[in-house]
Amino acid sequence: MNLLREVVDASVALVKGYGMTLRHVFRPAITENYPDVLPKFEERYRGIHELQRDENGLEKCVACFLCSAACPANAIYIEAAENTEKERFSQAERYAKVYNIDYGRCIFCGFCVEACPTDAITHGHKFEFAIYDTKDLIYTKDMLLVPDSRKEKGRKASDQAA
Amino acid sequence: MSEPVTLTINEKQITVPAGTLLIEAARQNDIRIPSFCYVKDLTLQAACRMCLVEVEKAPKLQVACTTVCMNGMVVRTESKPVIEARRAVLEFILTNHPLDCPVCDKGGECELQDMTFKYGPGTSRFIEEKEHQPEQQVSPIIFFDAPRCILCYRCVRICDEGMDVKALEPIGRGVKTIIGTGHDTLDCEDCGNCIDICPVGAITSNQYRYKTRPWELKYFGTVCTHCSNGCKTTLSVRNNEIIRANNRDRTGINEEFLCVKGRFGFDYVGSGDRLKTPLIRRGGTLQPASWEEALGYVADRLGEIREHTGPDSIGALGSPRLTNEENYLLQKFMRQIVGTNNLDHRRTADYASLEVALARNQKPEALLNVDQIKTAPTLLVIGDDPTTQQPLVAFNIRFAVRRHEARVFIINSKPVKLLRQAVASLILKEGSEAALVAYLARREGSTLDKVAAETGLPGELIETFEKELRASSDVAIIFGAEVRGPAIHDLVDFGASLAGITRYLALSDFPNSRGALDMGVVPNLLPGYAPLGGESASARLEEVWRGSIARQHGLSEPEMMEAISTGRMKAMLLFAANPLENPSNPLDRSSGPALGATLGKLDLLVVSDLFLTETARQAHVVLPAASFAEKEGTMTNCGGQVQRLQRAVLPPGEAKSDLDMIVDLARACGALNWMHGPWSSVLKEIALVNPGYGEVTPRALLQGGIPQTTLAASREALPDIADLNALAESIRSNRSRSLYASGSLALHSHTLVQLEPRAAVQQDFVERYQM
Ligand code: SF4
Ligand code: SF4
Ligand code: SF4
Ligand code: SF4
Ligand code: SF4
Ligand code: FES
Repeated sequence: MNLLREVVDASVALVKGYGMTLRHVFRPAITENYPDVLPKFEERYRGIHELQRDENGLEKCVACFLCSAACPANAIYIEAAENTEKERFSQAERYAKVYNIDYGRCIFCGFCVEACPTDAITHGHKFEFAIYDTKDLIYTKDMLLVPDSRKEKGRKASDQAA
Repeated sequence: MSEPVTLTINEKQITVPAGTLLIEAARQNDIRIPSFCYVKDLTLQAACRMCLVEVEKAPKLQVACTTVCMNGMVVRTESKPVIEARRAVLEFILTNHPLDCPVCDKGGECELQDMTFKYGPGTSRFIEEKEHQPEQQVSPIIFFDAPRCILCYRCVRICDEGMDVKALEPIGRGVKTIIGTGHDTLDCEDCGNCIDICPVGAITSNQYRYKTRPWELKYFGTVCTHCSNGCKTTLSVRNNEIIRANNRDRTGINEEFLCVKGRFGFDYVGSGDRLKTPLIRRGGTLQPASWEEALGYVADRLGEIREHTGPDSIGALGSPRLTNEENYLLQKFMRQIVGTNNLDHRRTADYASLEVALARNQKPEALLNVDQIKTAPTLLVIGDDPTTQQPLVAFNIRFAVRRHEARVFIINSKPVKLLRQAVASLILKEGSEAALVAYLARREGSTLDKVAAETGLPGELIETFEKELRASSDVAIIFGAEVRGPAIHDLVDFGASLAGITRYLALSDFPNSRGALDMGVVPNLLPGYAPLGGESASARLEEVWRGSIARQHGLSEPEMMEAISTGRMKAMLLFAANPLENPSNPLDRSSGPALGATLGKLDLLVVSDLFLTETARQAHVVLPAASFAEKEGTMTNCGGQVQRLQRAVLPPGEAKSDLDMIVDLARACGALNWMHGPWSSVLKEIALVNPGYGEVTPRALLQGGIPQTTLAASREALPDIADLNALAESIRSNRSRSLYASGSLALHSHTLVQLEPRAAVQQDFVERYQM
């Protein structure tokens, strides 16, 4: 009698266990396959900054220095200059000739983003920093600036034409 | 009326002199009343309404900037109606104000930003379209952005009352009012005072335009080294580059004032043409060398020449551009180590004769400084054109006239701009100033008829002028290079016959003209105007220097040039001196060849300078020197006020200060007891040998003081007057040059060179106003 019960109980547990396993076999996996597959972050994740462009492809940053003033880690270095008739970088009179963020200092607090009056600086979702030399943690403007989508399009169009 | 009045501000009882403005009374007692249009010492405007306060029993709020304190007044500055009124005023000012802060150059030091932050409304109810006008570049250095202007009229007043240029004026009505120039461009003296006095970013500087932000800068208070007035200037530095010069903290002898040279003329410091390494002439061309090589070479050659032709075949020129310490060490080097008195520098005023004349008359309190001009009741200005040569002096003369109706008398050979402030003037023939002064002093043999003929003026005019002048007392006499040598003795005699205390200020052209003479960089005067032959002074020097000094007479600059051409002089050391430059017109190189050929006869020519000047090009050894912004030391202005240079940036390449250079050279010559030390240790030594520098201590300077030198010459040991008169012969004034000129350095200032053509416009104005 007792033996029978034991056998039945064990079988039920076995079935339950395999059932669980079986169920999970058909569920989507949640393991992240980094670095083969890049992780997806929440919208407001604070990763490597991006300098945005406006709808005309001009840089939004006007080199007001407010982000660098707000930065508690003193990570942002800017040199401003004036737009000319020939060379226009931003919508307003001035633009950032040099714009560096030192990721050896940045603490990803987001104060810079909050301070920016033109929504030029935002946090992107990139996060990979591994390097061999701390000097390489200084990101310059060309690394931070998002590509000009209109130019990209233009290039693709001309590529196709060619 | 003159009884002090007692009033209550915010429950605090205070007592102030009668006639004090409420806003000043509050400030003196650390009660802050916000204001835009009120500027101390300019006329009252009451345009902005920011300073509204509640005065008990007055029906409405009152403007504190024009209300005079009365006995028993009860004032509240932080009550509810006042706070509401301020908020309303700011909201009103902001209705038409653009949201430009992110791109506006004033951001971070804008009074409107600060006030809005502190007192203003957080939001605006104004949704209508704002009145807009495009930004204009009105002059090579000034931008005007009309929408940002809050119409405080500070710029209009500083330009009219402070500068007497009247280039700015309000144009239009209502919201369309702008500060205009009357035409497209701004024809003015380019002082840039309007830029800094503007509380907002309506007037901005082209030099500083869109470069950086005030909080990114490091600030160094130092002295302007373009003229002898010695304005305090604050250099703003970022990344070892001077971005701008101004004096926003209003400390120093000049408060906020700077002229065009002080405000914009610093850019030669960062010029790419600066010398960066020592150069030695090898095979006919100047080639880079190390400091050891260069100084070793100079020391060896000096030794040889001294051996062969004696110490008196070596000479040196110092410079009014060097600090007191550098000039002092240079003459010490020549007198002690080389053993000669062949020493001189470019002189533009006769401080030596003034010292001696005052010492003879025992008038130690008779030296006037640049500050005291502001309070002088009567001013007699003889010669020079302060408006272009000594702009701070001119500014202070106008101040005296504006604030307490000082009476200005002018004697000049040209119709200068200051005539507009004068109550009486004599425009005489060029070069006859001395004759007129001799007549005023009633020098023997000088009669009215004779002086009238010499000056080309009617005798009655001279008589009425003199009568008016003698009717005044406490006259401050300010004189230029025209009055020199014997004329200064006449002038002091004349001054002694006037009522009250007469005081004197000799105007010179270059920053440390007075200091160079105080330090004895002249052939026959030791530091402190002691005669070379005077035993006590020489003995004191030998005791302090621990060594013997040369006692034989030396040569002045023209005499040295003469000696070179006759072959007696073999070696010259020039520190910041450029004798080949034509002083009256640096662009004219025609006087160069003759003198150049003379210098070509030298066996050794050593030049220390910032740039490869025409003289340096002829040198055997060229030493790269640090500029005023790259070294420490003291400068003495024309009024004997001593101020400290502060190092703001690092010198380019291997350049170093003349102070270090001279010590290195002395050590290379075997004087191993010469030690490198800070400027302060040299200054202490100066005080030991120059009694005029008794009060000038490093401590006083480091605490931010501006110590005043005193009369150094003593009656017991006065130098030979004939010697001084001979020296006075070779004074060369910078007078014929424009507002934008100041020695050879200004030629390397991009901004000043760019502005130079505007000098003609100013001259035109002066002439038109005279008519
Ligand atoms: S995220 Fe924070 S620390 Fe990083 S740059 Fe922005 S303000 Fe600086
Ligand atoms: S990123 Fe934004 S805050 Fe930073 S300088 Fe540019 S505009 Fe200003
Ligand atoms: S003047 Fe002041 S408040 Fe106006 S835009 Fe410039 S910084 Fe902003
Ligand atoms: S330009 Fe500046 S100083 Fe002149 S009135 Fe306007 S706000 Fe005042
Ligand atoms: S007045 Fe003389 S010292 Fe003052 S800023 Fe002008 S040049 Fe410099
Ligand atoms: S400061 Fe009083 S009205 Fe402007």
